[in-house]
Amino acid sequence: MDKVKPLSEYILDSQKIEINDYKNKIKLAILSSFTINGLAESLKVKCSQKQIFGSTYVAGYNQYNQEIFDTKSNLYSFSPDITFLILDTRSIFGNLFHFPYSITKSERKNFVDEKINELLNLIEKFNETTTSKLVITNLGLPHYSPHGIAEMKTSYSFHDAIIDFNKKLKDKVIEMDSVHIFDFFKFVIQHGENNVFNFQNYLFGDIKIALDYIPHLANDLIPYVISFLGLTKKCIVLDLDNTLWGGIVGEDGFDGIRLGPQPPGNAFVEFQKYLKALSQRGIILAINSKNNFDDAIQVIREHPHMILKEDDFACMKINWDDKVSNMQYISEELNIGLDSFVFFDDDPVNREFVKENMPEITTPDLPHDPSQYSEVIQSLHDFSVFQVTNEDTNRRKMYFQQKQRSESQKSSTNLTEFLKTLNLEIDIKKSDSFTIPRISQLTMKTNQFNLTTKRYQEEEIKKFSEDDKMLVGCAQIRDKFGDNGITGAFIVEKTNSDEWFLDTFLLSCRVMGREIEKAILYHIINEARKNNVKRLKAKFIPTTKNKPIEHLLPDSKFSKENDYWVYNIETPFSMPEFLTLRVK
Amino acid sequence: MAEKLYKIISKVMNINIEEINDESSPTSISNWTSFNGYVLLDELETNFDVKFSIDEAMDVKNVSDIKRHLQNHGVNFND
Repeated sequence: MDKVKPLSEYILDSQKIEINDYKNKIKLAILSSFTINGLAESLKVKCSQKQIFGSTYVAGYNQYNQEIFDTKSNLYSFSPDITFLILDTRSIFGNLFHFPYSITKSERKNFVDEKINELLNLIEKFNETTTSKLVITNLGLPHYSPHGIAEMKTSYSFHDAIIDFNKKLKDKVIEMDSVHIFDFFKFVIQHGENNVFNFQNYLFGDIKIALDYIPHLANDLIPYVISFLGLTKKCIVLDLDNTLWGGIVGEDGFDGIRLGPQPPGNAFVEFQKYLKALSQRGIILAINSKNNFDDAIQVIREHPHMILKEDDFACMKINWDDKVSNMQYISEELNIGLDSFVFFDDDPVNREFVKENMPEITTPDLPHDPSQYSEVIQSLHDFSVFQVTNEDTNRRKMYFQQKQRSESQKSSTNLTEFLKTLNLEIDIKKSDSFTIPRISQLTMKTNQFNLTTKRYQEEEIKKFSEDDKMLVGCAQIRDKFGDNGITGAFIVEKTNSDEWFLDTFLLSCRVMGREIEKAILYHIINEARKNNVKRLKAKFIPTTKNKPIEHLLPDSKFSKENDYWVYNIETPFSMPEFLTLRVK
Repeated sequence: MAEKLYKIISKVMNINIEEINDESSPTSISNWTSFNGYVLLDELETNFDVKFSIDEAMDVKNVSDIKRHLQNHGVNFND
């Protein structure tokens, strides 16, 4: 991130941001136990760098209790999407910050429990009153203790109490869908207490985060915004020479490239490890490299220090075509929109070429020093998610199977014949605590095969699931190559005893083109029939991306009625024979 | 040096440099809130490489006070 820009410039820049320049918008509220001026302005600027307009509400100085407990407060009338509650150790501990040993060990324990309970009451009231996400900071650990070096010989010491507070808060919040913790404890470790806390700022104006570090804090809160808006990127497309290894394999040869345990080759090993970890949590990796295929693939397959292997890449374009054509091909092959890609290439000319032709792709500038590569990706915040799901952790495997499927498709002559050979199985599942995060994630991320493109947060899906007037479900897809995981979802609104409305119907791009939608629709129509419903109503809301689902309704015998499409339940509906449908 | 000082004040208070003189203070500059006052001191410390004591910071009531304290830290305004 930009390390030199002082807070005053953020404040000035924030005044130049115009709401009309942005497609994505978010409302952010800031509550705090101390003076936190400048954070709202910094957040606005950081949002605008991600093409997001952030409108902000800042509660009065240390007014967070009142704002949350008063259901008519300005906080609630602002109706934020995300509320940041910024707490600090001095405010929470009060007098005990200086005199923790004026009370006994068991009193210290009780004190922490009491403070946790107060905070939980506050969270409960907040959640009752608003659907806003709540992000609470945990507490920073001061290096100070009145016991000095004896602190470590003190049982349930001052520092233990702070750590205990953080742990208890996490244990409670981990179960709450709409509440998250910002790890302020870690923020202070990263930047150092002597920097983040400035005594003069504190004594002057009760400013407990030094002015220079407010933009850093804003920067670290951006991942919540990205994740909330579903702007999380899906795939990193990598160059090879001087990106995954040092040197040029075509010139330096297999033995000449820099990749191994010694510097400078270890910088590339380190970067590959970082990428591997990203791929293990669901970020797709692909290659776009100008190289002789044989030279490059030999390194990938045989080099003893390659961390990333062939099956870590969902798609490899290693050829002499231009990078833009290759990007286009990768996007089509993986069925992912250009705006879900990050392009990572050490060559500024290639970067410029891609930037110019495909501005939707995020193309970060790279430092000359490969030891900073991981930091570049980290600071983008583009891969932030509120929660890592099972599908995320298995994605790498699933894309590799997908590659095998495409190979197999090439050998089949006609599509139905090919689909028959796949042994497709569809398990319809109810929404429950296991599937709700994934259903929400699908509504947030699916663009192409999505009838209405309605985005729902986890807590909304949860609310629908508990509502008798709604039917929420999802589909897990398996075939002979493996498990695709939960890749379809639907939400039906039971309008009245005669009519149901298809609020949401979507399939992940990974399983498109296999007529799975017919099986899911078959299931919904069956459910309607069982409940003596006469009509299933649906609406197609076109976007720039959902053309693939445009013909679903007419092709499935829905007839047009004004803006809607209606299926008469008495019409027989059949599902392709090669699909096996199970309802769990 | 006076120009450098005025430039910083103009940036932090978001006003034209022509509007600033040695008598400028929170009374004459409406953007000079207590918070912007802290931001200003912070920027001056960075840009002039000085550290104000808490007494000096408390004593600042207008631009000439700032000049006086900067001079005490060796910043020369007679150029």
